[in-house]
Amino acid sequence: MATAMTLRQKERRRHLLIYAGLTPFVFMAVFPIYWMLITAFKQDPDLYRMDNIPFWFNMAPTLKHFKILFFQTNYGAWIVNTMTIAAWVAVITLVTAVPAGYALARLRLPAAENIGIAVFMTYLVPPIILFLPLSRVVAMLGLQDEWWALVVVYPTFTIPFGTWLLMGFFKTVPMEMEEAARVDGCGYLGAFLRVVLPVSLPGVLTAVIFAFTLSMQDFLYGLAFVAPGDQKPVPVGVPTELIRGDVYYWGSLMGAALLVGLPVAVLYNFFLDRFIQGITGGVGK
Amino acid sequence: MTPASLQGGGPEPTARAAVVSVAAPARSRLMFQSQTSRRLAFGYLLLAPAALYVLLLVGAPFLFSLYLAVSDANVGEPVAKFIGLENFRSAWEMDTFWIAFRNSIVFLVVAAIFKSLLGTSLAFLLLQEFPGKKLIRGLVVIPFTLPIAISVLAWKWMYDSQFSVINWVLSRLGLIGQYGTDSWPIWLGDPRLALLACIAVNVWRTFPFSAIVLLAGFTSVPLEVLDAAKVDGCSFFQRFRHVVAPMIFPILMIGFLFDTVFTLSDLSVVYLLTQGGPANASKILPVLAYQIGIQAGNLGRGAAIALFLVPLLAPLMFLFLRNLKRREY
Repeated sequence: MATAMTLRQKERRRHLLIYAGLTPFVFMAVFPIYWMLITAFKQDPDLYRMDNIPFWFNMAPTLKHFKILFFQTNYGAWIVNTMTIAAWVAVITLVTAVPAGYALARLRLPAAENIGIAVFMTYLVPPIILFLPLSRVVAMLGLQDEWWALVVVYPTFTIPFGTWLLMGFFKTVPMEMEEAARVDGCGYLGAFLRVVLPVSLPGVLTAVIFAFTLSMQDFLYGLAFVAPGDQKPVPVGVPTELIRGDVYYWGSLMGAALLVGLPVAVLYNFFLDRFIQGITGGVGK
Repeated sequence: MTPASLQGGGPEPTARAAVVSVAAPARSRLMFQSQTSRRLAFGYLLLAPAALYVLLLVGAPFLFSLYLAVSDANVGEPVAKFIGLENFRSAWEMDTFWIAFRNSIVFLVVAAIFKSLLGTSLAFLLLQEFPGKKLIRGLVVIPFTLPIAISVLAWKWMYDSQFSVINWVLSRLGLIGQYGTDSWPIWLGDPRLALLACIAVNVWRTFPFSAIVLLAGFTSVPLEVLDAAKVDGCSFFQRFRHVVAPMIFPILMIGFLFDTVFTLSDLSVVYLLTQGGPANASKILPVLAYQIGIQAGNLGRGAAIALFLVPLLAPLMFLFLRNLKRREY
């Protein structure tokens, strides 16, 4: 009994040590978020004074910054743009990456593996090299200064990533299922649509989530291709339109950033392991 | 991927194939061939949309950027003349280019040192079992999951020249003087601090990534292997050096290459914090390429500057590719 107690105490001490080690990391990761949150609800005079402790409200919290955001800026339009862009990107990614991933994983194409790697490598071609030629492509399509430009451009990174992710996913579906379907008289298309696709739904969903979150991680394309204030997505509109010259509306800025940033961060959080698995080629668990 | 894994592994497919051939003994070789070609046709048909998209919007633009770089293309002037290596030469002779080049390298190296130190310690902590691990892990990875343009704004506010919360704390601790004195750091306005301030944001954003990649590596090492090494009398250090390190090396490599590509080519942190200033102190190549290519409208020279990243990135891509392929077999 006594030894059991000391064991438990030992365990508790070990946990305390781990927590102590993790505290600085958690603090470092979360503080900027906390700082955004409290800034978004502070009154202006409360933001700009140095004599009292800034970590909590010294005056009553306010929703004024959000009112400014929704009634005096294009923020509402940006949210709609962001969501619409992401939805289109997700659709384009799905209709291209799902079949491609399936073909590369299951149909024993010659050089399938090399094609897969080549597609994935395009994910590593950085936007900074592509954005100038793509600006010409966008102009040629007559899409400059519309958010449609981003619908065309974002799949350049969501398709490679999605294809690679789904390729890994389709490989885990047992081959026998498909073959059984084929024996039962399904064609290749039938086996794919009726048997493989339904059991791969979680993978397809993951690809959709990444199409959403990856589109929101972009800044360069949005900055370079979309100039009119009401056409921007949130991550571009907030830093470029809410900062006017040297005047900073910090409260509104932080509110705007958080309102969209936090849901994306939370969503991404749940799928982070899939992302890491994706880029490290599906090794590990 | 080996042929076996292509077929889903194991002997079942062949067994199934045998059943099929018993069920339809009349199938001729010709039939089988047409089956194969049907399968291939179907496969290429499925592959086509994705492949076309990538070829048209990544492959072609990449080649187009090579063309832009040797032309005098301008935003206002759609007809471009071939001017050879003029853009590269003028970049080469530009002081700003070399400042940006040096800053990019400093940025990459300093950031890599800090994020690997932080990432490694965090990974070792998260490797332990303790209550609330999921929650803590979820909190710690927030910097990486938050859209970059958005988190940079929080930093811009924390680096504010007058109301910086960092300075508030440092000042209360007595480490720096009062606002307005020389010992009050202006993070984004001081040429000695601006680049460091930008590096700090990159480190903040990517240390969780380093940690998670390392963790993925650690958890991919089967416990039996470690136990076997233990039974054979390996010390902790030996086990790490001879068992864990070689096994996680490929994953680490990929994580490292990924991070390098993104750090080297990311413009958002510097662009939003300092625009490369003050006086080019924090200018990096992507920012320079953007300013010349889009803001000044000199597409050709901008493309040339962006292409200077290729020799920096190409060896990494090559390593990445080799690594990825080697692991498959």
